Amino acid sequence: MSSGTKKRTTVVSRRSALKGMAAGTGVVAASMAAPAFIRHLNAAEPIRVGIISPLTGAWTVYGKAHIAGFELAVDEINAAGGVLGRNIELVVGDSKTEPRIVVEQANRLIRQERVDFLAGTFSSAERNAAGPVVKAANKVLLYPTFYEGQEKEYYPGVCNKNIFMFGPEPTQQVWPHMEYMLNKFGKKLFMIGSDYAWPRVTNLVTKRKLDELGGQVVGEVYIPFGTPQYESVLRDIRGSGANIIFHSLTGSDTVNFRQQFAAAGMKDDFTFWTVDDEEVVTTGLGPDVSSGGYVSFDYFMSIKHPNNGPFLERFKKKFGQDALMNTVGVAMYNAAHMAAKAIEKAGEVSTDSLRDALGEITFDGAPQGPVQMRSRDHQIVVPSYLMKVRENWTSVNDMFEEVQSFEAVEPLDARCDLPL
Amino acid sequence: METAVSVVVDATLITLILALAAFGLAIIYGLVGVINMGHGAFLTLGAYLTWAATTAGVPFVPAVLLAALGVGLVGLALEHLIIRHFYDRPFDTLLLTWAFFLVMTEIIKIVFGTDFRNVASPLAGAIDLGTVKIPIYRATIALVSLALIGGTAFVFYRTTLGIKIRALIQNREVASLLGLDIALMYKLVFGVGACAAGLAGGLISPMLSVDPYIGNVFLVRSFFVVIVGGVGQLLGGTLIGSFFIGGSETLFALFSKQVFAQTVVFLLAIIVLRFRPAGLLRAR
Repeated sequence: MSSGTKKRTTVVSRRSALKGMAAGTGVVAASMAAPAFIRHLNAAEPIRVGIISPLTGAWTVYGKAHIAGFELAVDEINAAGGVLGRNIELVVGDSKTEPRIVVEQANRLIRQERVDFLAGTFSSAERNAAGPVVKAANKVLLYPTFYEGQEKEYYPGVCNKNIFMFGPEPTQQVWPHMEYMLNKFGKKLFMIGSDYAWPRVTNLVTKRKLDELGGQVVGEVYIPFGTPQYESVLRDIRGSGANIIFHSLTGSDTVNFRQQFAAAGMKDDFTFWTVDDEEVVTTGLGPDVSSGGYVSFDYFMSIKHPNNGPFLERFKKKFGQDALMNTVGVAMYNAAHMAAKAIEKAGEVSTDSLRDALGEITFDGAPQGPVQMRSRDHQIVVPSYLMKVRENWTSVNDMFEEVQSFEAVEPLDARCDLPL
Repeated sequence: METAVSVVVDATLITLILALAAFGLAIIYGLVGVINMGHGAFLTLGAYLTWAATTAGVPFVPAVLLAALGVGLVGLALEHLIIRHFYDRPFDTLLLTWAFFLVMTEIIKIVFGTDFRNVASPLAGAIDLGTVKIPIYRATIALVSLALIGGTAFVFYRTTLGIKIRALIQNREVASLLGLDIALMYKLVFGVGACAAGLAGGLISPMLSVDPYIGNVFLVRSFFVVIVGGVGQLLGGTLIGSFFIGGSETLFALFSKQVFAQTVVFLLAIIVLRFRPAGLLRAR
């Protein structure tokens, strides 16, 4: 799919370049007759959006739903007549899952492709790489991923007035479910995560609430990317006396760890709570390894909200019956629709007007239920679901069983100089 | 005492599984001198072929054997078409096999897609020794690894073929003057190395996520195993190297954080190479 998407975009841009040249000659010929600004009134000129997606590299598995969500929304917007009578056109950049490439792609999309705004980047490291670029170029970035929340020290990757967060942060993804988990399974947590910003800050924020609830962290380890064997960690966990494994490993490490955790027969001895393993990863884990674990996010394919069924129908019609959606893809979908609403409201596509209009935009059609952007810290208000992985599930349709859910969870204020 | 037992068990398992993963590289790099950066791709391909075969309904053991055979054939094709023209230019083989790795990874992505796949563990459950639980499958793989290395030792030191291969390593020119078909021996060794990597990839697949990068995780570690153990030290070298790179991490992790333990191990490996450039088992 990735190569197809890229190819299509190249064709589009090449074609529009040709059109541009043709128009250029036309303008030269016509410039005697009409002032140049008349061209800007041409309603057919599309709004260009740059998408930065992990289409290759370690996190390709997440990249598919990521870009698919935005593409689906753009199809819907264009089919309904576009925004201000203009179609939205996507220009895709592959991040290759590397922050360094994100910087290159963001610069290319802004300077060469002259996109009106950006959407995407996947990990916090990627977003932090894009932060300085969108700050310097004064372009808006719509960021879709569940993440660690905004701490001032990571500016301009966060706390940046040009970046809008469409995914949940820990006070939405984790906090609402802690009381239930701690009361039911015990108050001792063992934290295991990948060694970078998202797991570390997520755990930090989680510990704040844990103190309040009288819980305790009995172990905390961070694993370097690409670790194949977990014997020593499993031993630490076994000896820790933990009740709950609080898990934020990413990529193939989460699969490797959980397979070995299950193989060591530890699944029955501990409650497993992951804030990373959505539909795609859980599918990769298979029912034997994943069953019985708890997962929390703002969206799951199997949630019962009335918006979700029709959304998935449209999604599968476009991408096939077996295509997987997840929290990140849905955030990209919401980002596209909310940006379109904001542009419609502002009446133009400049960075300043988009930024001003996007704050306080609500979107009732979001697949997980109504969502709302907050203008003061650019953090989205989303629902929060806690799911349990069923025994012997066969597909995403029967993978998760809802344990509890909350509508419209307000996050704590971002730890920035507010308002942004 | 409890900890001691479980550390010994863990270290043994890690050592033997890493030895299995590195063995194909030890054969190709150690015996024919090709710096095989394609080793990771062999492992990945072995895992994917196993996944494809088990998905098609083939039982696990024949599936792994098929995968090993398939990767062996790919290795033979690579050797015949390209590598054999470059045996006297080791640095070029590094670039060639790196290119092979890149091409193979892309082909795997095109054919199998980039989703996480999983191979169900054929031996679920764990042996409960009271204080320690040993996953049955990992224990089995460790034994297979031992058997593979033992079997190779037998071929190496107890058969005519072994004598020929050892002659080849010791002195290529003289061996060929004595009538040894060098080209054929090289091809055979390369094919066996690829086959061993494919076998390892297949056997490892139920323990790890099957994705296009599954082999990468082991590539750097495998090189360290071979270099620290000693290039050409097929048996003892692989085991000692694996213990040094994999097993000792478990010991360090006892006293420190995981990240730190990994760093210390690789740092020590570099120090070892500074003072014993030919590896632990080669005193020269």
